[in-house]
Amino acid sequence: MITTPTPTHRALPLRPFPIGARAVVLVAVAVAGLLAAWYLGLHPAKLVPAPDARGLVADVFGSAVSPAVAYESEGLPSDIDPLLVRVGGAALRTLVYAAAGMSLVVLFGLVLGFFASTAWWADEEVGASDPASQSAWLVLRYCVYGVARIVIAVMRSTHELLWAVLFMAAMGLTPLAAVIALAIPHTGILAKIFAEMVDEAPRDSANHLRVLGASPLQQYLFGLLPRARNDLIAYTFYRFECLVRGSAVIGFFGIETIGKYIRDAFDNRHFHEMWTYIYALLIVVVVLDLWSGVVRRRLS
Amino acid sequence: MSDPWADIRRLRRAAPRDRVLRASFLAFGLAVLGVWLFSGVSVIGIHLGPVTGDTSWGLQVPSEQVRDTFSPRRWENLERFVGRLAPRVTEQDGTVVGWFARLMRDKGLSAMLTTLAVAVAAIVLAGACALPLLWLGARNLARAEPMITAGKRPGPARHLLWRSQVSGVRGLFVFLRALPEYVLAFVLVVLGPGAWPAVLALAIHNLGILGRLGSEVVEDADLSPARQARAAGATRAQIAGLVLFPQTLSRMLLYFFYRWESCVRESVVLGMLGVATLGYFIQNDARARLRYDEMILYLLLGAVLVLAGDLVSALVRRWVRNA
Repeated sequence: MITTPTPTHRALPLRPFPIGARAVVLVAVAVAGLLAAWYLGLHPAKLVPAPDARGLVADVFGSAVSPAVAYESEGLPSDIDPLLVRVGGAALRTLVYAAAGMSLVVLFGLVLGFFASTAWWADEEVGASDPASQSAWLVLRYCVYGVARIVIAVMRSTHELLWAVLFMAAMGLTPLAAVIALAIPHTGILAKIFAEMVDEAPRDSANHLRVLGASPLQQYLFGLLPRARNDLIAYTFYRFECLVRGSAVIGFFGIETIGKYIRDAFDNRHFHEMWTYIYALLIVVVVLDLWSGVVRRRLS
Repeated sequence: MSDPWADIRRLRRAAPRDRVLRASFLAFGLAVLGVWLFSGVSVIGIHLGPVTGDTSWGLQVPSEQVRDTFSPRRWENLERFVGRLAPRVTEQDGTVVGWFARLMRDKGLSAMLTTLAVAVAAIVLAGACALPLLWLGARNLARAEPMITAGKRPGPARHLLWRSQVSGVRGLFVFLRALPEYVLAFVLVVLGPGAWPAVLALAIHNLGILGRLGSEVVEDADLSPARQARAAGATRAQIAGLVLFPQTLSRMLLYFFYRWESCVRESVVLGMLGVATLGYFIQNDARARLRYDEMILYLLLGAVLVLAGDLVSALVRRWVRNA
């Protein structure tokens, strides 16, 4: 008699779809994208420029392959700087504004990041023996934390160009105002990320310091900050890249960075010159990108 | 008893040093110092930032512009600005609530929707383009192990091809993300009116960022499931699509939503180039008509939208992480 072997184990129940709950997100994203495209009337046919605009489009994008190395307009006074010196100056000024903004961003980002972080809040209180002053300290702590979080949210919720528009409307956009406008949102973002990084950093050194009697500030400065240092530096470099882009763009509002030259060249229909400035910006950002990649790799 | 300072000095000497890092920090510090000391904006007598267009390297001090920063003209401007901040309630409005309702109905709501739609359309387009590309930029897929089993060793030409493929795709990502969205949109506006220039500009920039982040996610992935699939006879494309994609999807979605947040921020601003997002009403409509009450309202709507986007993104990311 032949017996068929009976299975000795039951197969594990398979999930019906290997992606599971994330599939919902994927489908929702796709649907949202289609809805948005429908709302905006995005149709591929609209990408083809109208017949009367085709000459301009061909001019603008055709010039991309031959950026100018000398001025396009004739009869300029002979004593002005050559085009490439001007381009270099514009690129340098873009970096100058970014560096000026960055010094404010790092300074205020560190301070705000400290107040927005909870990691330095010791469990048992320092210097407060009676319960009344302890609870006062607790309330103060939460107030400072809340205010810092709100300030950070307000700072980063508005784009640097909109801060620039606001300053422009209020007082006119001076270089100092431009630097401050650039610094505000990036300070908010940096402070938020700083606080998160410090809160997620290992607490071991800070705990040791607390046992030795260090104050919360000492724990923060010598226990927590060094543990998060590499991440902080890597992220700060990335922010600098973003600030350089912002500094270039703020030029569209008349500050003497690359954006102003791009806009002027476009308005004068000097498209070859425009691409020279665009390529200069491209080179600056790519070099910074590669540099920050090297720094990041060395830090990790 | 030993001198504690000697110990500290010894520890300090023993700490690892990195020339490139030190040079980077030094360069950075010198740059910041140089900017504040030698250029043109005045901060309590210290100058920063070149101003005039004629100075090609721009590190001179144009003193008239420096004084201008805090000149009486600026203060008059500020007074006028503050004077125009109060909501201008018309007779039909009745109250401030009516003023708010009218502006929301006429412009605010549709501007917010357009802002959101531009951000969503752009990030979905960027994600859809990045998804097939990012596998080509992952170094761990562009080599023999674990994708090719023993017996068929690839030659040096194949290795060269792999290496150039990875650096080519990574280089493409670098270039796509290098230019700011605003500059891209400014050039693309010649394509014509409508939302395409803004959407394309955002999509191009974010394709570069999502592509790089996605490639790095794949590079960090654990390859043992891929090895098992390979042993079972799966092809390279099957491994990417059926093993690594589900494996890395959560991380990729985190980055996707993180970039969507910044798309919302940028989408507000790109309105200044003509598409009817909030930026258009802030700059080209309200400010051009000196209606600062409306301008502040739209600025606040933009801030609310950005913060709401952050919140939604944080919630979705937490949900995905736990799923």
